[in-house]
Amino acid sequence: MSLNSVSTARSVPETDTGPASPSGGSLLRSELIVLFRRGRTLAMLGALAAIPIMIALAIKLSPAKLSAAKGPPFLDQVSNNGLFLVVTALLISLPLFLPLTIGVVAGDTIAGEASLGTLRYLLIAPAGRIRLLLVKYAGVAAFCFVGTAVVAITGTLVGLAFFPVGRVTLLSGDTVGIGEAIGRLSLVSSFVFVSLLGLSAIGLFISTLTVVPVGAMAATVVMSVVVQILDALPQLGWLHPWLFSHYWIDFADLLRQPISFASFGENALLQLGYIVVFGALAIGRFASKDVLS
Amino acid sequence: MNRKTVRWLPVAVVPVVIAAGVLIIPSQAGAAVTLPDKSAQQVLELIQNSTVRQLSGEVTQTSALGLPALPTGAGAPALAPGASTSDLGASVAAPDSTDATQALELLTGSHTARVYLDGDTKSRVQIMDQLAERDAVRNGSDVWFYDSKKNAVTHLTLPAGFSAAEAQAKAAAEAKVVMTPTELAKKFLAKIDPSTTVSVGQDTRVAGRTAYTLVLTPRTTDTLVGSVAITTDSETGLPLSVSVEARGQKDPAFSVAFTTVTIGAPDAALFRFTPPAGATVKEQALPALPDAATVLPNGTTLGDLNPGTMTGKLTPEQLNELKAKLPAGTPVPVVTGTSWDAVVSLPAGTVPAELTGNKLFTAATSAVEGGRLASSALLNVLFTTDGRVFAGAVPLERLQAVAATK
Repeated sequence: MSLNSVSTARSVPETDTGPASPSGGSLLRSELIVLFRRGRTLAMLGALAAIPIMIALAIKLSPAKLSAAKGPPFLDQVSNNGLFLVVTALLISLPLFLPLTIGVVAGDTIAGEASLGTLRYLLIAPAGRIRLLLVKYAGVAAFCFVGTAVVAITGTLVGLAFFPVGRVTLLSGDTVGIGEAIGRLSLVSSFVFVSLLGLSAIGLFISTLTVVPVGAMAATVVMSVVVQILDALPQLGWLHPWLFSHYWIDFADLLRQPISFASFGENALLQLGYIVVFGALAIGRFASKDVLS
Repeated sequence: MNRKTVRWLPVAVVPVVIAAGVLIIPSQAGAAVTLPDKSAQQVLELIQNSTVRQLSGEVTQTSALGLPALPTGAGAPALAPGASTSDLGASVAAPDSTDATQALELLTGSHTARVYLDGDTKSRVQIMDQLAERDAVRNGSDVWFYDSKKNAVTHLTLPAGFSAAEAQAKAAAEAKVVMTPTELAKKFLAKIDPSTTVSVGQDTRVAGRTAYTLVLTPRTTDTLVGSVAITTDSETGLPLSVSVEARGQKDPAFSVAFTTVTIGAPDAALFRFTPPAGATVKEQALPALPDAATVLPNGTTLGDLNPGTMTGKLTPEQLNELKAKLPAGTPVPVVTGTSWDAVVSLPAGTVPAELTGNKLFTAATSAVEGGRLASSALLNVLFTTDGRVFAGAVPLERLQAVAATK
């Protein structure tokens, strides 16, 4: 994706915000409008939506019936029950695709404005730098939510369209009806959404360090990959509970009977820790730096 | 303080708050517990008089046996297909070839399982693997095993003659299930004899409950076991954790402990298992317990060996008696020593030559005087050059000594 070709239409927010003192709400609204009207954002959401579609096509078109215990978990279940497409798609997009898109959005937050020279104008209005950071973070969080929802909703629709749907077998071997299954899938999606918030905070902080948005994007994505590699090294066991990706795939605990919320809580607490630490770093850096562009 | 410094203040404060939270919360949980003093005898009675039969809890098992970690779900071939048939007692054939690997996998790393018990006939154990789960559900005479990775169900119907304890043991063996602290504690406590020093350790807190610690220390030095610590709920006598220390190793070689436990009947629906649609269901016949008509490897029947007294099923005592009467040449494991220093020996020819000739076998064992040794923190196995096998939770020297006397 070319960055310069994307015009951040700053004229949009200015028309509906008061010139002197924009309220947090209108600042957020304009941020969201800019973010979700951007071609790049829409392209990324489209790519995320393509993941469940491609999985469904691959399963539908492949002649051989997948045997259990081969391939990624849940994949073999999809042909029996379309709702498993959601879980499979989330599982596949969680390690790379979602962090990639979040890296792009989070890395762009401050550095993007700085490189376009619009940061100065944003700061002329007495909105306050901290408020701008909060609004930017809320924008990234909104993207995490929409990105996860796009995968989950496309997965549900495609699953319903391509495969039979019936009672869903949980990991424990018990089955639940479609209503409860959809409830559980929403919980899984919320888990994935929450999982991405820590990385978003890191991306926001990195974005305050530079005026080159590509650098911040790449650094954020690299962070996510490096942390997942560290999490896979058994020699670093002591470090694992501190890595933001550590609980990512524990969303499976929501598919057990009885349902276990323990990992949801642990994951949320860990992500909150990352938000607070990197939020503080971002505030320290952004509020004290000289904005030259 | 200037404005810029103030902006950096949160960066300094946040890590301090987090560090404080991380350090204080566990230290409160592990705060010293003082319970009314009890003698070792009184703690033993407390455990024996425990009436807890209904509970739900989460169990964590960790092993540091010095075994190499196995990749979970690795489709490695069965390591020892006949391993469980060394006893004359009924043993359920392993459902498929990866089971031995799975059983070994349970002995490495750490595992979490949820346990639900309701009386002696209803139980459910769920091993919580990453993105997968293995379940063993027992409801009366029905035992179900479910493996989510394979989406496979195995069903056993226990014959009426099965006692609750036998059924439990069978179910545990079959599912290769993490043992609960309660079961393991019972095993160790049953073995207390004059060769063991029993003492009361520090009062502690396990799974949020105050607990007495019972420490079993072998008197002999001829064992790899340093000590066994069993904690038991001070209120109900329910064993909450068991940890086995190996000699010369700082971390417990094996420990199993409740991380949460709720005493009371679990939801009855948990014990009602219906195979999910799409799963492969296998009916597993349970081999009958040996009776008078059981044919022995040498062609005679158990009834012939023990004329007149054989009626119905055998008790373990009868089995042992019978083993002693078996004609020479029947491969039967012999146990030397009675307690911590016990060594099990198998005569030559029990272990197939294909296994010992294997490259993997050579890599997993080391050459010692008199044969090859497979060693871990709590178990040594000596394969002598003449094909015999000696195993026990004992040092190599003891294995060699036993081997030399035969």
